[in-house]
Amino acid sequence: MNRSRYLRRPFQTSAALLLALTLLLSACASNKGSSNNSNQSAAQQSDTPAAAAEVKQGGVLTYALATSPDSLDPHRSGLAVAVRVIRTIYDSLVVQLPDNSIKPWLATSWEISEDGLSYTFKLRQDVKFQDGTPFNAEAVKYNFDRILDPATKAANAAALLAPYQSSEVIDEYTIKLNLATPSRAFLGNLSQALLGIVSPTAAKKDGDQFGLNPVGTGPFKFVKWEQNAEIQVVKNPDYNWAPELVTNAGAPYLDGITFKIVPEEATRIGSVQSGQVLAAETVPPQNIVALKGDSKVQLLEANTVGLPYTLFFNQEHAPWNDVKARQAVQLAVDVDSIVKTLYLGTYDRAWSPLTPGTFGYDPTLENGVKPDLEKAGALLDEIGWVKGADGIREKDGKKLTLHYVDGTPNREKRNDIAVIIQQQLKALGIAVEVEITKDVRTVVYTNGAYDLYGNSQVNSDPNALYPFYHTTDPNALKSLTRLSDPEIDKLLEQGRVETDDTKRADIYKQIQHYIIDQAVILPIYIFPYTVAADKSVQGLVFDSLGYPLFNGVSISS
Amino acid sequence: MYIAQRILSSLLVIAGSLVLVFAILYVLPGDPTDAMIDPSVATPEMVANLKHQLGVDQPFYIQFTRYISDMVRGDFGNSLLNSEPVLDKILEHFPATLALTAASALVSVAIGLVLGVLSAIHRNGPIDFIARLVGLFGISMPTFWSGILLIVLFSLQLGWFPAMGSNGWKTLVLPALTLGIVGAGFIVRMVRSSMLDIIDEHFMLTLRSKGLSERAVMYRHALRNALIPAVTMIGMLVGEMLAGTVVIETVFSRQGIGRIIGDALMAKDLPVVQGVIFFTALIYVLMNLLVDLSYSIIDPRVRRSA
Repeated sequence: MNRSRYLRRPFQTSAALLLALTLLLSACASNKGSSNNSNQSAAQQSDTPAAAAEVKQGGVLTYALATSPDSLDPHRSGLAVAVRVIRTIYDSLVVQLPDNSIKPWLATSWEISEDGLSYTFKLRQDVKFQDGTPFNAEAVKYNFDRILDPATKAANAAALLAPYQSSEVIDEYTIKLNLATPSRAFLGNLSQALLGIVSPTAAKKDGDQFGLNPVGTGPFKFVKWEQNAEIQVVKNPDYNWAPELVTNAGAPYLDGITFKIVPEEATRIGSVQSGQVLAAETVPPQNIVALKGDSKVQLLEANTVGLPYTLFFNQEHAPWNDVKARQAVQLAVDVDSIVKTLYLGTYDRAWSPLTPGTFGYDPTLENGVKPDLEKAGALLDEIGWVKGADGIREKDGKKLTLHYVDGTPNREKRNDIAVIIQQQLKALGIAVEVEITKDVRTVVYTNGAYDLYGNSQVNSDPNALYPFYHTTDPNALKSLTRLSDPEIDKLLEQGRVETDDTKRADIYKQIQHYIIDQAVILPIYIFPYTVAADKSVQGLVFDSLGYPLFNGVSISS
Repeated sequence: MYIAQRILSSLLVIAGSLVLVFAILYVLPGDPTDAMIDPSVATPEMVANLKHQLGVDQPFYIQFTRYISDMVRGDFGNSLLNSEPVLDKILEHFPATLALTAASALVSVAIGLVLGVLSAIHRNGPIDFIARLVGLFGISMPTFWSGILLIVLFSLQLGWFPAMGSNGWKTLVLPALTLGIVGAGFIVRMVRSSMLDIIDEHFMLTLRSKGLSERAVMYRHALRNALIPAVTMIGMLVGEMLAGTVVIETVFSRQGIGRIIGDALMAKDLPVVQGVIFFTALIYVLMNLLVDLSYSIIDPRVRRSA
């Protein structure tokens, strides 16, 4: 029958075509995959049993990241997730220990001039970049000039490097950095991965593609980056200049690390439990609770330092320029119950404008504020805001509203905080209007169209407070608080330059007390960086900012 | 003539989608520097400098003409975020998306046709009931949810297939099933209802009366006629599946254009978004062209009239 031939053909042809295409494409893709596996197994074979006496050598750590890094050029990246990889490839001049002291790394020693305007570093003489380029004063100068060069398109690194102005090569291993103004935060900033030292040869050669072919002096060498899938780094066998922060001064024990990018939370954490990866970052609160009962998985946590997640009042808008109005809100918001409800007891509640790990943190502020709705109401009554018929307070025919702005996506459930506060303040008679926007920069920073806005910042120095609480230069972007108090200005200026640590800590204590007493802000929570890891993974530590360090990691069998 | 017309209109569709996307992204608030530099630490000069270097401070017509003139010369530009050439980025990700789309289409057609036909033949019987249930299930389950269910069962619990990655056929099974079952749902319903329409036609009676076996009547005549709407649907489903990869690739941590367009849209990385739109539109248009051409194979009437 003629017809039957026609009938079958379209089926068979299209099915066969689809099948062929599928197989072909998956075969193309699988070539890559099998070469990966052979890399790994080859790496595992290189285990040296002799060295395994104390710490197990070798193995590849698979580490699942929640999002994809933007660039592996430290000077261009703006994402914390990129820093986790960047830190493995690059070293910094100095390191900051958890006690906030600054110790040598690529620099062996340094001198600060009397006026605090120049820093002279002696550099290590035995360091080579992973491409063989020697590390010296010229290389350091190239790095900082590169950040200042607009063509580099430097991002957060440029902000961290301020007030750096220029540098002079004194001799091959001595360099002098000149600052525009003294800054006690400068050394701490230099310790950050975003000011890591890149290979001048590689950076010149690859130009703006350097972030895809990164080369540094770090414990791991970049191998390849399959976008949105994985990044591979292997051990730098020559590495012998680890900072005091890690116990293993030499080359890493691991043969390498494969960072897998796994955005789906359930898969990321589940893969650790099912053994498909050895470690996964950013464990959601509900999983933290569940993992605590899992005998195969360990949970590692590091609280981030700097500014906790903080809600800032905009003091340009009445009545929030009135301390009593702000204090009323401070007394009406039950931060404890917010943090417990949303994060199931896995996040710590913040009490100060600084987080506990930061230099100068004042623990006496803890438990200083307790919710007291009655007192809050009395404060508002005192300044003339009285409850109207609908339960919302009024004054001179105006309703008491609070415009609360937050950004998208709903990072760390911050949008939910807004909703809970809206409910809590309703009881006090304040109508909270919540605005969730994608364009935080325009709404908040450019237009200042908010009464309350929340932000946090990972930072190595309490000078991080300066841009938030110091009176702003009329030509500059306004601070989030719009605070302008000559007393606080003076303290912040002193804190920035004070060389005596005891005096400096005292200055920051005064600032913290003022900020909480005056209810300038509402500190909410401290974000912990969390890692779920198989029990065989040992020696994972975190730097003072909460980023993982892999120098001492080993995988026990 | 017909093909030339189709190709011309396809080109117009692609050009139109490029203009539309460019305009929408331009009007939307924010720019790539939002993700690159923290406004609470950077000075306004730093932000302005970065914007200038990226060229996002230029007016719409300058940005757009620059983009189009580069593209005509085959230069899709570089990512604003990390300067990676857009073409490299797309070529790295496209095979994984194509493999997923093709495998999902295969799953849809296989499940859809078999169940659709069975369901029509056994109208109102238990097989029909099951087939319709599967169809309803496929259509109504959100893929991000069914995908996670499959991961939990087949990867995390049973360990049969990997939960992540896009290397090799094993990583293709679960995502293709997740996405394919949606398409299957549509095809089952479509094939069933068109089969039923045909079965009630008078010519079926004629076929039976001239002594053809029930098998021949159903498979050679009824299915043949029912295929035309189903094939049209498959063409449209490929578009749906390309769109579906945005979610599926994230759920299964696969490489693919769905991933890059999601990230690029969030960061307003315009050259990347435009590049992906261009390639996706191209695939979609090509697919529909193929579907149109396939009518002449399935339906002799189309061939004769053309």
